[in-house]
This record gives sequence, C-alpha cells and structure tokens, in this order.
Amino acid sequence: MLKYLKEEGLMGARLPLLLCPGCGHGQVLNYTLNAVDRLIKEDKIAKEKFLFISGVGCSSRLTSHYLNFDSGWTMHGRAVAVATGALLANPEFRVVVFTGDGDVASIGGNHFIHACRRNMDLTIVCMNNGLYGMTGGQQAPTSPRDMITTTTPYGNTEEAFDLCQMAEVSGASYVARWTTAHPHQVIKAIMKGIRKKGTAFIEILSQCPVHRKEEPAEMLAAYKRITIPVAKAKEGDKEKILVGEFCDHDKPDWNASYQRVIDRYKSKDV
Amino acid sequence: MKPMPRLWIDERYCKGCLICVEVCPTNAIASSNTINARGYVIPIEQDMGNCKVCSLCELMCPDFAIAIETNTTK
Repeated sequence: MLKYLKEEGLMGARLPLLLCPGCGHGQVLNYTLNAVDRLIKEDKIAKEKFLFISGVGCSSRLTSHYLNFDSGWTMHGRAVAVATGALLANPEFRVVVFTGDGDVASIGGNHFIHACRRNMDLTIVCMNNGLYGMTGGQQAPTSPRDMITTTTPYGNTEEAFDLCQMAEVSGASYVARWTTAHPHQVIKAIMKGIRKKGTAFIEILSQCPVHRKEEPAEMLAAYKRITIPVAKAKEGDKEKILVGEFCDHDKPDWNASYQRVIDRYKSKDV
Repeated sequence: MKPMPRLWIDERYCKGCLICVEVCPTNAIASSNTINARGYVIPIEQDMGNCKVCSLCELMCPDFAIAIETNTTK
C-alpha cells in the first residue's frame, strides 16, 4: 500500500511533507489517497479523470506540491470557483477540492455557498483546525467560543461557523463531518462523496498541535472523547460535537440540469 | 507457524509525533531512544508477535513514514 502511495499517488522525491510534526492534514492526505486508490480499483475510474484543486493555507499545500495527480493551486479562497470552472469545461472529471477552514469559511465563503446552491459535482474536503495555522495561529471563523489563539489570548468571544449546517441548508447533496481520529469513516465518506452526483461536503476536524500547544496523540484521543455520532446523539449531548452524515440527497446536479436544457432546446427543432 | 509481520519505518520522513505508538491497540510499537537526522525521536518495533496487522499505524501516519509488511503478500 505504501509503495503505491509513494510511487503512484505522491511525488516521493518531494517528501517529507512540510507540515509540522503531528499535523492532521497529513493524515487527511493519507486517507484521501486510500479512498482514491480504492475508487480506481473498484469503480475503474481512470487516474487521469481526477483533478485536485486547492487554495492557500496549510491544507492547500498538499495537492499541487505532493500529489501525482492533475492538480491546481489557486488564489486564497477561490479554490471552489476554479474547481467550478474546471468542471464546466470537463464534466467527466472527478474534481476534489482540498481546502482549509480559513479558505472555505472566511475568504471563500460565498463561492462555497453558491457551489452548494448550484449543486456542482464537486467533492469539497475541508480540513478544519479552528485557526489560521500558516500565518501564526490567529482566530478563524471556525474557532469555538473560549478558544485561546494568538489574537484571542483571553478566549474567543465569537461563535464558530457550523460549516456542515451551512452546506446542508445551501443545498449540498452530501454533507458529513468526521475527525482525523476516525480513519475508516473518513475514507468511506470521501469515496461516497466522489461517487455522489452533486456537491459533497466533508468537514474533517484536524488537529494543530503546534498552535494549540498539545500533544498530537492526546488531541486524537480528545477528538474521540468530545464527539458523538449523529445516530446516537440525545438531547443531553449538546456539549459534544456531532459527527457523521448529516444529509444524503439524490437530486440533479448542475451538469444534469444543463443537459436537460440542451435536450429541450434540441427537441424543439429551432 | 504464522509469519511475523515486519515494521518498516522511514527515518528520513518521521517527525516523531508518536501517533503510531498511541493508536496501536496491541502495543507492538514503542518510542525509542534513537534520534534521527532532524532531531526527532523515532518509534521502534517492540513486540511484533502481538501485531494483528490492523494497519492503523500505516493509515494514521501524517508523514507516510511507517508501513507494515507481511510475508504473505509477497
């Protein structure tokens, strides 16, 4: 497996990753490559049909620098917009957007909402570590209340964005949230998201041990402790973070709707 | 006799986060006293007879530095 990852999935000569020790983004890259590998083997999707797009940030360094797939490295927050354009030009592509919380939630928030609304056939993998890691650990829109960051040294006073709820109400086909401590669930969610027609949004809570000043293994254990699956959640579990699949709809994506318009136009013989 | 799986650790890539040691359910991996060229403490195989080849260490390594090799796959 690792031989495959190094020689087929990754540009082995560029390793090691530039990320800090214990960073969750490397784990997400590992899970994604496993998911893509299974899709290539099970669904017989050609390797050339995958396209990875990323913006700017820790998580977005992963695609074009290390992946041995077609990939694009775009402006800050515009990953979803560029992916939309790439998908319109090549509707048969399986476009995967690698993005972070600062990328998709703050500067690229509108692109993200409207991609969900249009139901573009994208798979958005959002690595949420709750702060801006690359610039020094500042407060982000996804920082939970009372979190200590470099710009909120006495605790964050704002509420965090719930990205999964935002994607769901905006109209995404598939929305799921997992953490880096749930490897097999993340792999299944990414496989399902790539197979899904329409926008699939997968939020993965990822640890930033350097800026949170904690041990990576302890943070993984904490993720298991503070999360609860949606199916098992009761009324009293409001303090815990819900993980799991939030919605899974079958509705036409943008390309299917556009094809319908073309067919209707042709049938009128104008 | 069942062939014993072998642990393969790439010292060049390991950053010593020791996630593999924590996630291993059978304590087959342990932290060592060895320090690699970048100054990180690297893990070492402790009791590979316990290893059930769940591949969690391989799957959860952020730096692609660890792999399980079984003789049956060759």
